[in-house]
Amino acid sequence: MGVLGFMNGRKKLTPGELAKERLKVVLVHDRIKINPELLELIRGDLLAVVSRRLEIDEQNVEITLAREDRWDRLHADVPIKRQKVAFEWDPPAYTPAANALLGSKIRVEIESDNEA
Amino acid sequence: MDSRVLTITSGKGGVGKTTTTANLGTALAMQSKKVVVVDSDIGLRNLDAVLGLENRIVYDLVDVVEGQCRLRQALIKDKRLPDLYLLPAAQTRDKNAINSVQMEQLCQQLRHEFDFVLIDSPAGIEQGFRNAIVGADEIIIVTNPEMASVRDADRIIGLVEAAGKPEPRLILNRLRPEMIRRGDMMDVADVLEVLGIDLVGIVPEDELIIVGTNKGEPVVYEKRSKAGRAFINAAHRILGDEVPLDEVEEAPSLVERLRRLMGFGPALAEKRVRS
Repeated sequence: MGVLGFMNGRKKLTPGELAKERLKVVLVHDRIKINPELLELIRGDLLAVVSRRLEIDEQNVEITLAREDRWDRLHADVPIKRQKVAFEWDPPAYTPAANALLGSKIRVEIESDNEA
Repeated sequence: MDSRVLTITSGKGGVGKTTTTANLGTALAMQSKKVVVVDSDIGLRNLDAVLGLENRIVYDLVDVVEGQCRLRQALIKDKRLPDLYLLPAAQTRDKNAINSVQMEQLCQQLRHEFDFVLIDSPAGIEQGFRNAIVGADEIIIVTNPEMASVRDADRIIGLVEAAGKPEPRLILNRLRPEMIRRGDMMDVADVLEVLGIDLVGIVPEDELIIVGTNKGEPVVYEKRSKAGRAFINAAHRILGDEVPLDEVEEAPSLVERLRRLMGFGPALAEKRVRS
């Protein structure tokens, strides 16, 4: 199980697993000096960039550092908001992705009874 | 001569550097290699006592470096094996009594005389540690499967890298198979996943280590000892022999064997987190 799962406390870990997960986090912080404030800044920057293109659920974004396979990794778990596609399908060739290239946000379509 | 200089280090103290040095040195000498074990823990010497040679010290490493005696005069021959020697540390000096240049020159001198030069490093990351690795071709890190020693081992890996040495290899010491089975201790795979370096040895916790140290006799002489066999295997891997890494695979316990006989077979085995 990954670091994110451990952070969320999804499963009760054995003491051995807990030691490993704690080590993975502490070793990254030992090696690269990223304090919580800096991590918060990175989080803000990332959210700004991603939310230019995607509607994201900012409250539930998880940014963590961890060691995996000898590499220090920055994990960003960014949930995308689920809502109706809002843009007009003017030119028939438009897809959400093409629309995003032109500067509009992609919104993920789901079936919704609200407007029925 | 193709001599190799290996430094045994750990960062954290008390994880088994000196025991590892004494046992690897003895095991290599049993394979008819000409070996010198060097205690570089100046001011806190112990390798002499682990090998049972504490009463025979006249000169030490600092005397050699300062030119107070010739190298041959300071080397103590282990009477049990024809090819094992100790170069003891000074006890009444401190870690700054020698510098890196002197240590490197000493290693060069020892290369001419021996197939293997094993240097027992002091704990810590200060001058004593730097002196211990400066002349080494290979670094062996000893760690235990617990947070503090693994964390320190990672620091050492970074410092060894920064010193321009090849990637160190690992001896995972003092594993307790019963605790691992219960999930109360990190297993071999966990530690390797975190540290990401190659393994040369897995040594189970063994009371016979303390018994051996009490007698001044490395545990590799003790045929009953699992740790002793593990150190012999590690020495073979250092020599380049293929030895499967299965030191903590234990024979099933009496209870488990009875269960199997009675047909409640794999239930207990399944509970093992990872082997």
